[in-house]
Order: sequence, then structure tokens, then C-alpha cells
Amino acid sequence: MNDFLDKLSKIRSGFFGRMRFLFLLDLISIFSIFYAIFIIFQVEYFLNKSSFYLPIPVKFVPPVLAFIIAIIIALLLHRKDTKINVNLLIENKYSELKEKLRTAYDNRDETNVIVDSLKDAVSDVLTTVSSSHLLSTGKIVLKILITIIFISGVTTVSLDPDKYTIPVDTITDITSTITGTTGGGTNETMQVVGRPENVDKVGTKGGGDIFGKPKIASIEGKNIDLTLYSGMGTGFEVRDASQTLYQFIRSAAFPVDVLGSNVSDGGYSILMKKTEAEKKLIEDYAVERSKI
Amino acid sequence: MSNETFKSSKGIFKELLDEIGKVIVGQHEAIEQMMIAILCNSHALVESNPGLAKTLTISTISKALDLKFNRIQCTPDLMPSDITGTYIIEDVGGKKQYRFEPGPIFANIVLADEINRASPKTQSAMLESMQEKQVTVGNKTYPLDKPFFVLATQNPIEMEGTYPLPEAQLDRFLLKILMDYPTLEDESEIVNRYTKNIIPSVKQVVSKSEVLELQKLTRDVPIAEDIKTRAIKIVFATRAKSEHIEYGASPRASIGIILAAKARALMRGRNYVSAEDIDAMAYPVLRHRVILTFESERKGMTTDQVTSDILKTVK
Repeated sequence: MNDFLDKLSKIRSGFFGRMRFLFLLDLISIFSIFYAIFIIFQVEYFLNKSSFYLPIPVKFVPPVLAFIIAIIIALLLHRKDTKINVNLLIENKYSELKEKLRTAYDNRDETNVIVDSLKDAVSDVLTTVSSSHLLSTGKIVLKILITIIFISGVTTVSLDPDKYTIPVDTITDITSTITGTTGGGTNETMQVVGRPENVDKVGTKGGGDIFGKPKIASIEGKNIDLTLYSGMGTGFEVRDASQTLYQFIRSAAFPVDVLGSNVSDGGYSILMKKTEAEKKLIEDYAVERSKI
Repeated sequence: MSNETFKSSKGIFKELLDEIGKVIVGQHEAIEQMMIAILCNSHALVESNPGLAKTLTISTISKALDLKFNRIQCTPDLMPSDITGTYIIEDVGGKKQYRFEPGPIFANIVLADEINRASPKTQSAMLESMQEKQVTVGNKTYPLDKPFFVLATQNPIEMEGTYPLPEAQLDRFLLKILMDYPTLEDESEIVNRYTKNIIPSVKQVVSKSEVLELQKLTRDVPIAEDIKTRAIKIVFATRAKSEHIEYGASPRASIGIILAAKARALMRGRNYVSAEDIDAMAYPVLRHRVILTFESERKGMTTDQVTSDILKTVK
């Protein structure tokens, strides 16, 4: 009477076998992605440079790290796999088993004329059920294709890493851009000690001590902060603005539009890109500056 | 026997309904629910306007099931002994002795017509017999014949001089069945059938022992755990704080829904209970068990509407 349980057990093991295969495909795909990223970003080089204590040789760290990340992500992606109700999946796929299968399963220990007839009926239909039908074939094929693509990608990258790796300098530049540090001399920076007006409306992207994009004019090699600071009033004169106080951090996020003699065309091309209002402002200050 | 009865059950019910259909036009749902109450070895309360063939329906069912049928017309002066029976003195060989004369409750199917017109004392005696399935007169207990089914009727109009059944006693009825007026086509058919010389009649479809066998089979119908849980959740939902419900249903309602769903499944030739059975039986089981708030009643809401809302929300 309970031979439907044997059939169900076979279907379940077949289904979970396929789920394990999908888990493996995901694991390989994720590993490939992370390993490729580690190669491209020269993680091995930076680990060599760092002073971290590593229990394994540095060359093994990227693949091991990629594998650990892949396992964690794959486990997270498949964390609900074991909770999948196969009976419901079968019922959804085979409408003739709807409500019958779960009833027969829940009453598997019962024996009477009606339950036995139900078990027999379920058993007959389960003969036609295949675990391969419970998972979408398209999904499996797609996952296999994706995995193959990722494996090919990581193989290509690992066989000729020099061709694909990003130069260390570029990575350093990107890192400094992201972190907002340069590592250069202090004479390149301008500290903002005053609080600009309308500070709340000024963006804070890039962090650091800069509240926003300062209006800087470089005239005859000298940087002049054009921002009007609160409390300075209308009697403020350009000479009151100290160059040393208002330093500017040169970074990719806040490029300094330097206009001065250190630019090849004397800053003419940069000046031409300015708006009329900006041009007028710079001109006025230049005139004022010439009077000092 | 069980196996054979089960295999033939689908055919039996079809034949039974066809046979009853020879006398009763329409009212399929009411007939099915009466059959369900019989299969569950329980009782039912019917509410309908006068003249909708309540008596004819139940007497037709009793004929088709080969069961003894009695009708009690409840009135305010009806005494408990008028129902249960009483001791009478008779002369046997010159000696006078007491003999128990069974009342109309000693039948397989009893129609308690307009039960709300009987006094509470008489109602109580009847409902006790329904529950215990036995009658105690004096110091002697008399078991009632099996199967025992009471179909009590209530008239929704003419409520003056009535004693509405208390909630605790209403709970003893498995189902509250509503009988509505027939459709135009059905009424036309009724007129055709009952204005001729040949009055339609029914033949016996199953024996009393088969009815008892079907009652046993009903309880054997399996139900899935999630469907069972749904039935319990539905009853639970009636007890949740709601603007429409004053008092919810008791655990008897959970038992009632599941049992009635099993009977419905068996009648429809299924060897398992479907969620559809639970939903269908929730209405007649909860109809007399859920007490609506005054505000809801004032707005004209019915327990069926509230049940419908609950069914939509319970997953």
C-alpha cells in the first residue's frame, strides 16, 4: 500500500540531486567571477605589499578567498533548498495529484479502505512523475551556459593575466580617488577652515575637509578662494583671504580648474570654457588683484 | 463490506439524489447538506419560509434511506414527555403494570417542526436526547435507534410567541441549512408534478445498515494536514477581534467543518478532503455559531458574508 512512498522517495532524491548540481554550478560561477576580479585587480601584488600575516602562501590566497566567498554566496542563494516542499512541486506540475499526494503522504501511517484506495491512486500517477520535470529545463541549461562562460572567462584571464590586469598605478589612483587621499606633499592641499555660506546645499561627495567645490581662481600663480565666508561682510578684501589657510585637496573628485601661468596656454583654453558670469568674476578679481 | 460500500458509494449517492429529485424539485444544496448531516451522525437546523417542502424533503430522504421517520410539531404547550414518551398503566392478566410508551423521538429521522415554538423545557429535553442519543424516563434509560438524526426547523418570520434556541443549544446542530424559494423553472416543474393524479414517490436506495456503514466510511476519509489547519484557522478567525463578530465559534465548529467536509468528499466520490470541501462547509457550520455585533446586524450583514470575508483572508 505504501509503495507510493518508495516512488516519492526516488523522485525526492532525484530532485535534490539536481538542486545540488545547480548549487555546484552557482558555486563555480561565483568562484570564477571573484577569481577573475582578484586577478584583474592584482590582489596577489597588493597582498605581497601589505604587512598582513597570512597562514598560506600569497599566491594561494586569491583562489582560496574566491572559493570561500563563492561558498558563502552559493549557500545563501540556496539556503531555502532543503525547505522546498517536493510534494507541492509535484502537485503543481501534475494536476491529477493536486491535494491527493499531500493527503496520502500526511496519512501514510493510516490504513483503511479509503486511505488505501487513495494511496493506490497516488502510486499509479507517481509512476509517470519524473524528477527532471520538477525543475525548469531552461533554467538548468541557462545556468550551465552561464557557468561555461564564466569558466572560459576566468581561464582566459588566468592564462594571460598581464593582458587583463589593471596596472598597479591605475588601481592606486582609483583607490586614492575613492578614499580621497593622494599621498602627495602638503603644499598641494588647501585646508578649508572657514565655513562657507549655504553649506547645507553643498555636496559632500568625496569626504575629507572639503564642504563643496570651492571657486578658486589662480592668478599669476597664486590661488585665490572666491567663496564669500560668513561674517566677512561687505568690507571684505581679497588681501584678507589667506592662501595658507584655505588649502584645496587636489583629487579626481574635485578637479581644480587651475587658470594660471603653469598651464601651457596660460589658462586661455580653460578660461574660454567658463560661463560668462564666471569669466566676469575672475576678471573683476584680477583687476582688484592688480591694484594691490 | 466497507470496501464494497466505498466502491459503490459514488453510485449510491447519485442514485439517492436522483431518487429524491423525483419528489423534490431543486434544493440540491439543502438536500446534500441534510445528507451530510446524516452521514456525520449529527443533526441539522433548517431555516426557511413556510411551504418550501422541508417536511417533504426529509420524509423523502427517510424513505430513500429506509429509515423510520417521525414528525413533531412543536407548540408552546408541548411537554417533554410528549417527545420522549411516558409510562402508561395497562392491565395485563388482571394486574396493573407500568409500560413505557416511546414518544416520537424514537425514530431514525425526527423532524422537529418549528422547534423555537416549543418551551425551553421541552427544547432542552429534545436537545439532550439529540446529544446523548438516549432517553431517560424515571430511572430507566432507553437508547435511541441508530442512525438517529434530528432535523429541526425554524421559521424566520412570525417570531412572536417563540423561544429562540440559546447559543449553547444551537451549537449542538452540525449545520444550519437555508432553504430558499425555488427558481421560476423549478416552481413551474413543482406545479406540473403536483397538479396531476400521480403523486411522485421514491423507492428505497440503501438499507439502514448501509447508512451506518457510510457513516463509518465518512470518518475514514483522509484529510491533509494543511487543509485541516485551514479549517481550524477559519474557526479561529471567528474568535479574533472584529467589528462584525460579537462571539466566535467553538471548537465544535472545527470538528464540524472537517467532518462535514469529509462527508461532502465522500458524497462526491472523492477519497480525500479538498480545500473546496472545507470552504463549502464553513458556511452552514458557522452560520448559527457566529454571533454578529448589533451594528453589523443593523447594517443587514449576514454570517455568510462574514464567513466569506474570513475565507478570503485565511491562507
